[in-house]
Amino acid sequence: MNYLSSRSPIKKARPALIAGAVLFLTSAMTISGLNLFDSRFGFEFLPLLVLVIWPRHANTPLSLGLVWLAGLFTEWATGDITGQWSLIYVLVWGVFRPEMRGAPFAPLGLVFVWGLICLVTTLVLFLTGYFVYGILPDLWPIGRQISLATLTLPLIVLLRRAILRRLKDYDDWG
Amino acid sequence: MRGREGPNSGITRLALFIALAISCLLISFQRNSERHTSDLGIAAQEVASPLANILAVPLRHFEGFLSGFIERRRVFDDNIALREEVAILRERQARYDNLANKVARYEAILGVDTETDIPLRKIAARAIGETDGPFLRSLLLNVGSRDGVMMGNPVMSTEGFIGHVINLGPNTARVLRVSDLNSRIAVASAKSGAPAILAGDNTPLPKLSFINQPDDWGIGDRVITSGDDGFLPRGLNVGQVVKGKAGDLRVRLSSQTSPVDWVWVSPYKRILAPVETLEENNQSATAQDDEGTQVIEASNAP
Repeated sequence: MNYLSSRSPIKKARPALIAGAVLFLTSAMTISGLNLFDSRFGFEFLPLLVLVIWPRHANTPLSLGLVWLAGLFTEWATGDITGQWSLIYVLVWGVFRPEMRGAPFAPLGLVFVWGLICLVTTLVLFLTGYFVYGILPDLWPIGRQISLATLTLPLIVLLRRAILRRLKDYDDWG
Repeated sequence: MRGREGPNSGITRLALFIALAISCLLISFQRNSERHTSDLGIAAQEVASPLANILAVPLRHFEGFLSGFIERRRVFDDNIALREEVAILRERQARYDNLANKVARYEAILGVDTETDIPLRKIAARAIGETDGPFLRSLLLNVGSRDGVMMGNPVMSTEGFIGHVINLGPNTARVLRVSDLNSRIAVASAKSGAPAILAGDNTPLPKLSFINQPDDWGIGDRVITSGDDGFLPRGLNVGQVVKGKAGDLRVRLSSQTSPVDWVWVSPYKRILAPVETLEENNQSATAQDDEGTQVIEASNAP
């Protein structure tokens, strides 16, 4: 591929499958949480971190399928509204399309995108919850979930970089 | 697998649109419907529970480590307060023993049936998952139907009543907490015996509704389960009556004060309505006729 070519970069299944497995793992973790300072910090926003750092060279349809299924799995595991998290995951993946990015996020860009994702997710949770139950959501648990995931974000990015440096096909995972 | 798809090709956009549309459709199906879990939901719960079980150990250690710092700061003050409390409680204990003996004598004289319907058997469980989201308050326990847990069974902690089982897998059970929006529990005032319904609204203080005589309810009254719904035994400690911001009566839950880790499930057999009992008797009789055995006999139990 050169600069004048209109061909898209080759998309591979392996990065999509591995990222999908990590997404399912974090989705399973959403039934857990931390009890600190007499409050519960849920893990519901952790899978969104995986979506932020989704590999750019992952196969697109496979990625979309895995992201949607992981959302359904989250709802079934947590007993939440069916369709809510799958809508959020697909929306986040669809809006911040990883395969359309030219380069991985710079740290500041990553923080900005993460903020936007949190905003979109809160909005969708608010609207879907109000649509189904007819009441306004309790925003404190969402705030605690966001703060825990935000604190975890630098750790995840550093861990990912450390793992990637050991891989030969570094470019596929960027 | 090397795809030919462009990053913004029509197929990708169509697939994205279909995924969003299906999700929206799934959400719309649940509007104004009761919260229930499908078999797929129970399967997902069963798949996720081993991971939560593994995660629970380091997480609880981490929580213990952090809370240890905070606890240490107030240990001396607590010690003084607890010594004073022990002195008062010793005196009360002696008075309580005397009264218990007196009541037991009266009951023996009058021939009162003193048996409680709270089962003596308890199934210990660990809360491996807790959902405390914007619309949901539930727990996931590491026990299920294989351990003898049944649908609707009450779940208790050392502080008091937490909720009841709403769905059941072979190794896991999901508990709807009293504070959840969908929770409705028949309760009574321990002081006056007046009945009411405790309605969860996703706040820490659920509301007391369907109160016939407000005079029977006072601030600070202890609230227990009334057993009127037939699903829960009478006498489980729920909490204390407090006044809400709007002047309505609400309940400060006993189980709300500390994080839930170890709990127990009371394998209480719900009281069946007469029609259901009759139907079950018929079914039992049919089953006995068919198999020639007398295995089924539980249907008559309360």
